[in-house]
Amino acid sequence: MSALLELSEVSVSIGRAALLERISLRLEPGHILGLVGESGSGKSLTAMAAMGLLPLIGGRVTGGTVRFDGQDIAAMTDGQRRALRGRRIGFVTQNPMTALDPVQRIGAQIDVVSRLHLGLSRQAARARTLDLLTQLRIPEAAAVAEAWPHQLSGGMKQRIVIAMALAGDPDLIVADEPTTALDVTVQAQIIQILGALVRERGLALLLITHDMGVVAQICDRVAVLYAGRLAEENAVDPIFAAPAHPYTRALIGCIPQEGMARGSLHGIPGAVPGALQFPPGCRFHPRCPQASALCRATVPPLTPHGAGIAACHHLSVEAR
Amino acid sequence: MSGRALPAPLRAFRRPLGAVAGGWLAAVILAALFAPLLTPYDYDIQALKEAYQPASARHWLGTDEFGRDLLTRLIYGARTSLSVSGIAIALSVACGMTLGAAAAWFGGWFDRAVTVVVDLTWSFPEILIALILVAIIGPGTTGTMVAISVAYLAQFTRLTRAQILTLKSETFIEAARSLGAGNAHILFRHLLPNALAPVLVSAMLATGDAIILEATLGFFGLGAQPPVPSWGGMMSAGSALVFKAPWIIIFPGLAVAVTVVAINLFGDALIAELDIRARMRRQV
Amino acid sequence: MTPPPLIRIEALTRRFETGGGFLKRPRTMMAVQDVSLSIARGEVVGVVGESGCGKSTLARLVLRLLEPTSGRVLLGDSELTALPPAALRAARKRMAMVFQDPYSSLDPRYSLAEVLAEPFVVQRRALPSGAVAAMLAAVGLPETLATSHPHQLSGGQRQRVGIARALALEPEFLVLDEPTASLDVSIQAQIIDLLADLRDRLGLTYLFISHDLGLVRYFCDRIVVMYLGAVVEVLPHADAAPRHPYTRALIDSGFAPDPARRRTIAPLTGEIPSPFALPPGCAFAGRCPRATDRCRTDRPALGGDAAHPVACFHPH
Repeated sequence: MSALLELSEVSVSIGRAALLERISLRLEPGHILGLVGESGSGKSLTAMAAMGLLPLIGGRVTGGTVRFDGQDIAAMTDGQRRALRGRRIGFVTQNPMTALDPVQRIGAQIDVVSRLHLGLSRQAARARTLDLLTQLRIPEAAAVAEAWPHQLSGGMKQRIVIAMALAGDPDLIVADEPTTALDVTVQAQIIQILGALVRERGLALLLITHDMGVVAQICDRVAVLYAGRLAEENAVDPIFAAPAHPYTRALIGCIPQEGMARGSLHGIPGAVPGALQFPPGCRFHPRCPQASALCRATVPPLTPHGAGIAACHHLSVEAR
Repeated sequence: MSGRALPAPLRAFRRPLGAVAGGWLAAVILAALFAPLLTPYDYDIQALKEAYQPASARHWLGTDEFGRDLLTRLIYGARTSLSVSGIAIALSVACGMTLGAAAAWFGGWFDRAVTVVVDLTWSFPEILIALILVAIIGPGTTGTMVAISVAYLAQFTRLTRAQILTLKSETFIEAARSLGAGNAHILFRHLLPNALAPVLVSAMLATGDAIILEATLGFFGLGAQPPVPSWGGMMSAGSALVFKAPWIIIFPGLAVAVTVVAINLFGDALIAELDIRARMRRQV
Repeated sequence: MTPPPLIRIEALTRRFETGGGFLKRPRTMMAVQDVSLSIARGEVVGVVGESGCGKSTLARLVLRLLEPTSGRVLLGDSELTALPPAALRAARKRMAMVFQDPYSSLDPRYSLAEVLAEPFVVQRRALPSGAVAAMLAAVGLPETLATSHPHQLSGGQRQRVGIARALALEPEFLVLDEPTASLDVSIQAQIIDLLADLRDRLGLTYLFISHDLGLVRYFCDRIVVMYLGAVVEVLPHADAAPRHPYTRALIDSGFAPDPARRRTIAPLTGEIPSPFALPPGCAFAGRCPRATDRCRTDRPALGGDAAHPVACFHPH
């Protein structure tokens, strides 16, 4: 199957800081790709690059290509890129509290997306909005459409933001930590809804999250980023069952699980380095229990590993 | 972090505009301080024979209608203008911070009363407040100082109140309380020190405005009384002679303008160095 | 014979009045409602619930950073809620709090040495020489950071400073208000590890506030579940089977980091009622799959098994 979104060896800089280095990702229709890593690993920046939004934050692609449905987005005009976002790519942000315009009614904010991108009439747009709200299991959709953002709870607002992302009938949804600001019971609902959308509509979802539980629950493939580089990319089952990269292993080990004895949670020592202090060799080596002289000196290449790829000098041998 | 150790006013000198503006201000302040050492003339001895002389090697900026050296009077005028506006703003900051902090701290009816009075004064132009006050107190240096400090009281009260109100809800205040800190500790060790930077920068910018206000009052003959020179008084004297001896009004006018611009530029550099632009706006 | 508890919370209630003004009737919000709880010395008690359940208000009431509307809190023999200001200040040596936001809980103008000296200044005690270095070392920070300011530290480092400050006066009891909620999971695990280690070394007692049931189950001896200001269940140990439908929903909402344990979640329906207008019956009835007419009219009291009390007419 051909990829809907394909990043090949994309590098990104902001000012002097080289923040992403040769990131390659593929996302197919009907699939969910999870992008994981700690804060500062480059997850959000990768998403910005995928949507062609880097100029907004003063970033630029210094190498590689981003293709959407086979087209190089660097070769597009600004107008084409704008049409791409909203029409073919929907975006769901982390904070639903600030993603909505406080002085516009809910319905009007969703209507405008389909009127702009699908050219629908006022009435058709509203009908579509109500239909979307109902699909997102919002009770009394008509009443909610007439409400103001401040009248809604956080979980409800996030569903509205998802409705806005869907209103242009996109092929790809990019969701940046869509449930981080929400309570767990609400998070469960939203994740459920996102998963169902992908399966029912054949959408593709790029899901940025720090929550490995969410990744295990709905993702098909997982890309693990560390300090601007891809550490590992694989299907979800091997990522959790037999993580190849020590960083992936450490990330999973950070999550308290049922029946875990107290004292068995250790975290990852240290912190993600800033872009101007990236260490030489493997960037994870100062925090890695397996680091050797080779790791300190030489950048590990991305090598095939089972159904995926990983960049480590000490890949577990059995799966190679 | 290099340079973090330097105090912000010195760091402001590393910015090109900050350095030029700060250099001018330093020069004006030093000149005002050491006026008698810088000039061989007296500001008040008249020499009518030498009246109306244009700039020359003897009188660098020329002489006025009484034959007094204009540069000398300008330097002594800086003394008056800077000290009157400086002291007035210092007074205003002291009262405004106390009032604003007290309003934010105690809240309730006291806060409401302060807010109403401050909002009322805020709605009048400073010049109007100053004119009314000078009319009541009488012209002269003291009257001008009091008038200016009252005119700017509202600004500092509002700014301080807003700063303290925001800071009060910071977690580090609650943390101090959880350790057993009393009101005095919280107010003097946390709230006021954190509120100080924006208030001081705003005081510096207000000093620029105050110099103009002082000059205006002087121009109307309500400021420092002759023969003590002030920039506004000199401009007032020169206004009648603008065609006969334009330099008499031009140089004090330039002194006011350049100094005020310098204060604003240096203030901007300070705001950038202190990284408090967002906090400066918080006045409501 | 069991030793007397270190902390006794009795029928603690806090209401907030808001919105009174011109042409507006003041509204009453029930933030914490009739909460009773004892904490034994050395115990780690978790309080878990979603936003607005009153857990942070409870934390502040227990340390008397907020005054209760009614009810009492006792630390050992001293009744905190009845202490006059001077005695309360002295009692603050025995208890401390670690805050959620490591960014705003440190005064930006203070160096770390000043942050850690503040408890001594406030309690008018001399700062022993070498104390700052020792406090930094106790939370795994190098002495060289003493002259740094908070903006030079990472979130995890700041939270370590917050913990060091809380421990400065050698308290017996710490309230931890979501100490890891704004940190990465990798850093969260470090901090939890540190807190567990400190408890063992110093014999501390914790009240641990969190929204993360998985974390609370990992870290705490006993778990108090709150919903809209009231305790709905107290799990006697981390692996106790939940009896209240809300606790069950909380557990079911968490995802295990294991694709083999994927499941469909029966999401809770209905919205959380406003704390300004609590329904007459069980506050959870509107979202509860087991609710009956009785749940909508009568409020269930916390009761049943004393070791595992639950406030529900139809517990599992």
